Amino acid sequence: MDQGLYKRRMLRNRFHMAMSVATALFGLTWLILILAMLLIKGIGGLNLAVFTEMTPPPGSSGGLLNAIVGSLILTILGVLIGTPIAVLAGTYMAEYGRHSKLTDVVRFINDILLSAPSIVIGLFVYGIMVRPMGYFSGIAGAVALAILVIPVVVRTTEDMLLLVPSQMREAAAALGAPRWHVIRQVSYRAAKTGIITGILLAIARISGETAPLLFTALNNQFWSTSLLAPMPSLPVVIFQFALSPYEDWQRLAWTGALLITVAVLTLSIVARLLSSKRTV
Amino acid sequence: MANFAVHASADSLSNAKPKMDIKDLSFFYGDNKALKDITLPLFEKRVTALIGPSGCGKSTLLRILNRIYELYPGQRAEGTIMLDGENILDPKLDANYLRSKVGMVFQKPTPFPMTIYDNIAFGVKLYQKPSRAEMDAIVESSLVRTALWGEVKDRLHTSALGLSGGQQQRLCIARTVAVKPEVVLFDEPTSALDPISTAKIEELIDELKRDFTIVIVTHNMQQAARVADLTAFMYLGDLIEAGPTTTMFSTPKDNRTLDYITGRFG
Amino acid sequence: MASHIVTAFENELRDINRKVAEMGGLAEKAVVDSTDALIKRDTILAQRVIAGDTRLDQLQREIEEDAITLIAKRQPLAVDLREVVSAIRICNDLERVGDLAKNTAKRVLALKGEYQAPALLRGVEHMSEIVLEQLKEVLDAFGARDAVRAMAVWKRDGAVDDLYTSLFRELLTYMMEDPRQITMCTHLLFAAKNVERIGDHATNIAETVHYLVVGEQLIDERPKSDTTSMTSVAYPQTKA
Repeated sequence: MDQGLYKRRMLRNRFHMAMSVATALFGLTWLILILAMLLIKGIGGLNLAVFTEMTPPPGSSGGLLNAIVGSLILTILGVLIGTPIAVLAGTYMAEYGRHSKLTDVVRFINDILLSAPSIVIGLFVYGIMVRPMGYFSGIAGAVALAILVIPVVVRTTEDMLLLVPSQMREAAAALGAPRWHVIRQVSYRAAKTGIITGILLAIARISGETAPLLFTALNNQFWSTSLLAPMPSLPVVIFQFALSPYEDWQRLAWTGALLITVAVLTLSIVARLLSSKRTV
Repeated sequence: MANFAVHASADSLSNAKPKMDIKDLSFFYGDNKALKDITLPLFEKRVTALIGPSGCGKSTLLRILNRIYELYPGQRAEGTIMLDGENILDPKLDANYLRSKVGMVFQKPTPFPMTIYDNIAFGVKLYQKPSRAEMDAIVESSLVRTALWGEVKDRLHTSALGLSGGQQQRLCIARTVAVKPEVVLFDEPTSALDPISTAKIEELIDELKRDFTIVIVTHNMQQAARVADLTAFMYLGDLIEAGPTTTMFSTPKDNRTLDYITGRFG
Repeated sequence: MASHIVTAFENELRDINRKVAEMGGLAEKAVVDSTDALIKRDTILAQRVIAGDTRLDQLQREIEEDAITLIAKRQPLAVDLREVVSAIRICNDLERVGDLAKNTAKRVLALKGEYQAPALLRGVEHMSEIVLEQLKEVLDAFGARDAVRAMAVWKRDGAVDDLYTSLFRELLTYMMEDPRQITMCTHLLFAAKNVERIGDHATNIAETVHYLVVGEQLIDERPKSDTTSMTSVAYPQTKA
C-alpha cells in the first residue's frame, strides 16, 4: 500500500468530516438561538390570562384567547377541507392512474403549488372569495389554508401509497377483492402511518402562515367564531402586536410566537415518532 | 403453433379430467409476444408443475390463469382457457369472481397489515356473510389445514407481521384456501424460505391436492419431481413438452428438456 | 450432449466412468490370466491373479463411495442418475468376476500344477474363450452406450450354459470311470462353474447397459439353458 496516498486520503477524510460537523453545528446553533430567544422573551408573558382573556386594546393587559381559538378553527377547517381532496387525489395518482399522463401532469402542478408563495395564495382567495362576498371572512381564511394543505398531503399520500408493495395489492386482488376494497383495506392500512404523518406535517405548515390570512380572514380584536366575519388568528395578532410600540402588546406577541413554535415543534416530533414506529 | 408432446397417461393421471383447459393461448407485453400458442390441460385434483429457465414464461402463464395481469396496463391475452365450461378470458366474465374460484399464493409471503384472524377473514368476508361463530370455525379449520393452528391459536388477534417467514407463507396459503377456491396457483412458493419451511409447505401441497387443483411454478427441479403429477417444460415462451412427472424426469422426449433437467442448459 | 454447467459434476461423472473402465480392463485380464494359468498349469501366473484381485476390490469400494457422494451432492436426474446407478451395479458385477477368476487361480495352486486330461482342459478353455468374448463385448457396449450390442451379448448366454451342461456330464463320467481323477475333476468342475458365472455376470452388465440407454428395466426372462441342477449320470452297473 502506497503510504503517501493513504495518508492523503486519511487527511482528506478527516477534513471533510470536520467540515460536516462544523456546518451542522452552525445550523444547529441558529436553531438553538431562535428557540432560546423565544423562550426568554415569551416565557415571561406566559400566564393563565393568556388562555382566558381576549386580545386587549393597546395599553391594557389581556390574553390571546380569541386568537388561539380563531387559529384553531381556521387550522382545523383548513385541514378538513383540504385533506379529503388531497388524499383522494393522492390515491388516484398511486392506485388508479399510476401510469396515466394525467398523473404526471397533476404531480408536476402539485410540486409547483407546494412551493408557491403563500401570499400569492392569499391574494388568489382574496380575488375569488373576499371581493365577490364583499367582506373578509373566516371561511375565506380556511379555504386559503386548505389550498396550502393540499399539495403537502397529495405528495405524502402518493409517496406512502407507492411504498406499499404491489405484491400485497396483488395478494388482496387474488382473493377476489374489488379495486376499492383493496385500496381501503390493504393500501390505506399499510400506508396509514405515513399518510397521517403527512397530514400532521401539513398542519404544522399552516399553523404559522400569516400572509394568506392577511388577505382573507384579516383579524378580529374581539371574540368571533363566525365564519362569515373576519376571524382572529395567532400569526396575524403577532404581526400586529409585534410591530406596535406598546409593551404589553409586544410581550403578548412574543408569547404568541412561543405558543406557535411549541405547537409546531410538538406536531413535528409526534409525526417523527409515528413514522419511526412503522414496522412494515 | 403448438409444439409439444404429451406422453401417454401414467397411473397418477389416469381417470383425471381437465379442470382448466388452456387452448392456443398467446400473451403480449405491448407488441412483444411472450407466450406462443400454449395448449395444456390442467387436471382436476392433481398438481401440475411449470418448469423452465428464467424468462421462459411460466410465471406469465400462471398469472393469466387468474387474470391478475389485468392490474397492469399494456398486457393482453388471446386464446381460450376453459374453466367449468366458461372461457375465463372472456371480458364479460368478472375478474374478481374468477379470482374467488382461482386463488394464488405468491413467492414473497405478503400478510396484510392486520391481525392473523383478520387476514383469513378478509377473503371470506368478500363473498360470504358468516356469523361470528362460523367465521371462527372457518379461521380455525384453515389454520389447522396449513398446520399453523397449534403455533398461533393463542395469538389470533395479534399482528400477522410478527410471524416468521415460513409461518407467514403458511398464513397466506390458509388465507387462500379459506375462500374455498377450486384451483390454487403457487408462484415459487418456497424460494424465499428455509429448507424446513419448504418441506412443510410441500407436505401441505400434497395434502391440499385432495381437494384442489394445483398449479405450481418452481425453479427447483427436485421440488417439481417430488410434488407434481404432471410437469410441463417451457422455454422462451413455448411449451416444449408436458407429461407425467416420472417420465419427464427419467426419459423426456425432447433434448432441451433433458438438457435443462440435468443441468446442461448453457 | 452439452456438458454440465457445473464442471465439477462433469468431472465427477467422468472419474466414475473411468474407474469402471479400469475395473473392466482388470477383470478381463484376470479372466484371461486365470484361464491361462489353468491350461498351462502355471502356478506363478495363478499367484499374480490372486494378488491382483485386491485392486479390483479397492476400485469397487471407491466407485460405490464416489457414486453415493455424487447422488447426495448433485441430485442427478434422468440419464445422469442412471449412469451413476449403472456404475454401482457394474462395478459389483466386475468385482465378482475378479473373485471368480481368483477362485480358479486358487484351484491351480491347489493342484500344484500337476494334472492331466487335456480333453477336459480344452473344454474349459473353449468355454472361457466364449465368456471372455462376451465380457469384452459387453464392456465395449457399455463404453459406447450401445444397447443393441448389449442385447446381443444378453441373448448369447444360452450358448455358454449349453457348454457348461455338457462339460458337467463329461466330468461326472470321467470321475466315475477313474476315481483317481476325482480331485482334479472336482477342481475343474468348480473352475468351469466359475467361468459360467462370469458369463452370467456379463449378462447382468448387458441388462444394466440396456437400462442405462433405454431408461427401462429389462423384464424379459433371460435365456437360461443351465440344466445342470437337474442333471445326473446313471451309476454304471458293476459286476457283482
